[in-house]
Amino acid sequence: MNVSSAVVRARGLVRTHGRGPGRVRAVDEVDLEVPQGQTLAVMGPSGCGKSTLLHLLGGLERPTGGEVWMDGRRIDTLSERALARMRRRSVGFVFQAFHLVEELTAAENVELPALLAGRSRRQARRRASLLLERVGLADRARHLPSRLSGGQRQRVAVARALVNDPLVVFADEPTGNLDTAATLDVLRIFEDLRAAGQTLVIVTHDERVAATADRLISMRDGMFVDDTRLAGTGTGTGTGTGTGTGTGWLGGLGGLIGLEG
Amino acid sequence: MGSVVLVVRLVLADLRRHKAQAAMLLLAVTVATATMALGLSLRGVSDALYEQTRAATAGPDVVALSGDTGPAVTAALASLADAPEVIAHHGPYRIVYATLSTRDSISSPVVVQGFAETPGAVNRPLVTSGRWVRSGGTVLERGFATALGVGVGDHVTIAGRSYPVVGIAVTAATSIYPWAAQVGPGGGPSDYSGLAWMTRADARTLASSKDLPVTSALDLKLRDPAAADAFRHAHRASDIRINFHSWQFTAVQDMVILGDSQPILVVGSWLLGFLAITGVAALAAGRAVEQTRRAGLLKAVGAAPGLIAAVLLTEYLALALAGDALGLVIARLTVPAIASPTASRIGDAPGPGGATVATATVLAVAVAVLSTLRPTLRAMRTATVTALSATAHQPRHRPWLTALSALLPTPLLLGLRLTARRPGRAVLQACSTATTVIALVALLTINAQPERGYGLDGSFALPNLRGEHDRRLMLAVTVLLVALAVVNTITFTWTTAMEARANMAVARTLGATPGQISAGLSAAQLLPSLPGAVLGVPLGVGLLSLFAARNAAEAPSASLLGAVLATLVATAALTALPARLAARRPVARILSAEAA
Amino acid sequence: MQDAVLAMLAKEPSHGYHLHARLRRVLGPLGESMNRGQIYVTLARLERAGLVVCERADGLPERPERKVYALTPAGQQRVAAWLAEVGWPKPDLAEFHLKLAAAAAARLADPVELVAAQRRELLRHLREAQQAALAEPAGSGAGLLLEGVALRLQADLRWLDACERAWSGADDEVEGG
Repeated sequence: MNVSSAVVRARGLVRTHGRGPGRVRAVDEVDLEVPQGQTLAVMGPSGCGKSTLLHLLGGLERPTGGEVWMDGRRIDTLSERALARMRRRSVGFVFQAFHLVEELTAAENVELPALLAGRSRRQARRRASLLLERVGLADRARHLPSRLSGGQRQRVAVARALVNDPLVVFADEPTGNLDTAATLDVLRIFEDLRAAGQTLVIVTHDERVAATADRLISMRDGMFVDDTRLAGTGTGTGTGTGTGTGTGWLGGLGGLIGLEG
Repeated sequence: MGSVVLVVRLVLADLRRHKAQAAMLLLAVTVATATMALGLSLRGVSDALYEQTRAATAGPDVVALSGDTGPAVTAALASLADAPEVIAHHGPYRIVYATLSTRDSISSPVVVQGFAETPGAVNRPLVTSGRWVRSGGTVLERGFATALGVGVGDHVTIAGRSYPVVGIAVTAATSIYPWAAQVGPGGGPSDYSGLAWMTRADARTLASSKDLPVTSALDLKLRDPAAADAFRHAHRASDIRINFHSWQFTAVQDMVILGDSQPILVVGSWLLGFLAITGVAALAAGRAVEQTRRAGLLKAVGAAPGLIAAVLLTEYLALALAGDALGLVIARLTVPAIASPTASRIGDAPGPGGATVATATVLAVAVAVLSTLRPTLRAMRTATVTALSATAHQPRHRPWLTALSALLPTPLLLGLRLTARRPGRAVLQACSTATTVIALVALLTINAQPERGYGLDGSFALPNLRGEHDRRLMLAVTVLLVALAVVNTITFTWTTAMEARANMAVARTLGATPGQISAGLSAAQLLPSLPGAVLGVPLGVGLLSLFAARNAAEAPSASLLGAVLATLVATAALTALPARLAARRPVARILSAEAA
Repeated sequence: MQDAVLAMLAKEPSHGYHLHARLRRVLGPLGESMNRGQIYVTLARLERAGLVVCERADGLPERPERKVYALTPAGQQRVAAWLAEVGWPKPDLAEFHLKLAAAAAARLADPVELVAAQRRELLRHLREAQQAALAEPAGSGAGLLLEGVALRLQADLRWLDACERAWSGADDEVEGG
């Protein structure tokens, strides 16, 4: 794999929790490269270390061992301040619990990272309204999160994650608190992002969310047990059937719904 | 009965869980009630000490003094002694105005009273060490001797002649040191003076050898001591100037030295109580969520709203009453030192009176009730289901402040939004700061007052006991106030940090640095502190003007400005530590905890 | 499929091409695999069974576009019976289960590997279903069908997870013992 195209890279990544005999390896000697434009899903049962992996890659937690690189720059050795700047510039986060600031409106929530990054109020506002438009919430811009549905809140969170044009968006169980319709809304946005070449790393335990990715990594006990290329722009050796053209349906799904006369 | 057991059990469980908060409430109430009890006890203690000294020294009911001399005066005094209301008398005797200096060359005005070697029926000074006067020796009044640092066996020089100090005594015939002169020479104004006794012959010799001014005095015992004032009015002579000092007047004069102590302590206790309320209210608000949840739980298992209120209030009331009791004990133990700054009186200080106990208890209960009223009412009103699922009470959206803060650098942006989250707490912080500044203004103003020392010509070789006493009390009250304000500021910062931790963690995932977060938390406290500190100055000046003499000096503006700045710098420094601690907490863990 | 075509005719007699269009609309992207020939073959079978009658419309004879099909009373009974039927298609899991057991017993292949391969395959199907579902406008009938397909696949994937756990556990036991 071409190293220069890897937005996120990890080498021998280890993260342990606790000490002594109760010590748990949440992430155990993991190597990973996420090329530019790839949508990667990480799946596994709860407690397999997938959220920890996401926190390590996004610089929210420090690894016990190994290296994390972001856009060709090693980040696990950075100071807290430098990490914060890196997050501001290069990373957007989406969480299961949305984590919106409750007393700020949707638009103000989206503006927040732009203001933190030192953009002017006008720039931040313009960018926020553009993104809210993009996630279909232009008419809810002045609503407080408490007046939005779960799906709408998560869409605001996605817009907020995108406001500084991040290199990569990390999503931690983004649909974990959502019903099917809201899940589809969020997945549609992810699909748009994927089409626009946004690098995405999604941690999920929902097969249907994972299936929308280009590549799927399965995790067990802190280790990668499977790495499947479902489709997409990567140059991997996956045996995918291509990107969902009409012929795919004949062989695959037509049979599944039993249309044979 | 069962519900009482339940209430007690719940209260104890809650106290165990929140030891630090319980300790804080207890301490705050203790300090406030102790100060208030002290302030209210002063008059009673001063009166009781005078009363005991009067009983022990056969204090006169009236002292008649005349600065004139001659047969007319002698006759007038003799006729007073023969008045029908009078049952006993002592004198007339000489009071000689002289100057005393010690071997350490401390000089002071002194009045020398010429007494018989065997005291009479009225005004028998009580010798507390050494012996009574004899020829060539002098006895010093105890308050005076203590101020001079002189004991039995030392020599003092009076009007150029050296006398050995043969004894130390107290009397109720004159006010406490330094108001022993009663009247000045010729009935005029008097300086701060001490009191010494000599034999009649020695006093006569002293007066005549140096041609010193002399006043004649006569101590009278009346049939009805309460009628001292009536006696005074009835016997006011038209042609001769005679001053009458009733025993009540002398007792009141004893209070002069405490004239400022009482407002310092009482007003100080209000301020302490106020700070206690702000601090405890912030804690109570911080626990509001938990309490609401608890109330919900109790309701869910069928408890009546009355029980819920009882549990919530009992805890605070119990702590406040314990603090009240502790404060009263402290007041009882410290009151002798504070109510009697001179050694001129003897006897035991009585404990705080019923009115004092009641007032202090009202203060304690007020602190408990006022600081918990809101959370209690809210907990009672909230519906059970809402209470059980309560996560945090929803902060309101403030578009104005949010828009304004967007124009500011990141720490101020975060700070302003944190302030906007909890306007109530911002007000408490402002009040806390204002109270601190009020205390500092009072301290500075008291220190800026011009005063005369008790030594000769106002020398500070003998310090002004009243001023010293006031300054010491003011300093003590200020230290207590500042200490409470410090605890409050740390509490406010920590509570803010804990409540905002999820939002701050989110801000960090969005790229805010820990430095920006801790600066933001500090700013959230400093923003309301600024108006608080600025308002504190006029409030302090205004409060002082209620008690100050008309000619009182104001503290220099530079020092007031300094106090304001020092308060703000101290607030910034105090908030820095909890803010830094809060900002260093790992983001990932906070977010996972919030999501769970 | 015969029943579905019959039921489509219950509303009104219809041309073959019209029937085809209606089926495609309801099935959405899943109907793309169905060509018009299948419809005519089915209709011809139904006609032979006496369930539909073919009324020739005006114009040239023997042009299928000119035939209008309608239900016979027997056809109507069959439609009613079909609607009342509670039969449900059974997923055939036994075959895969036996495949794993046989592979393990004869040491022909690693069952865990078989599960993984199957899983990848199902994930690709799921991806296609999901993408088709995302492309559907909200509330479309075809979307509902795709939702069902996705849920089925999800259930199968979860079963494969259980298989994987079981077979990797079995492996360990063999190695350990």
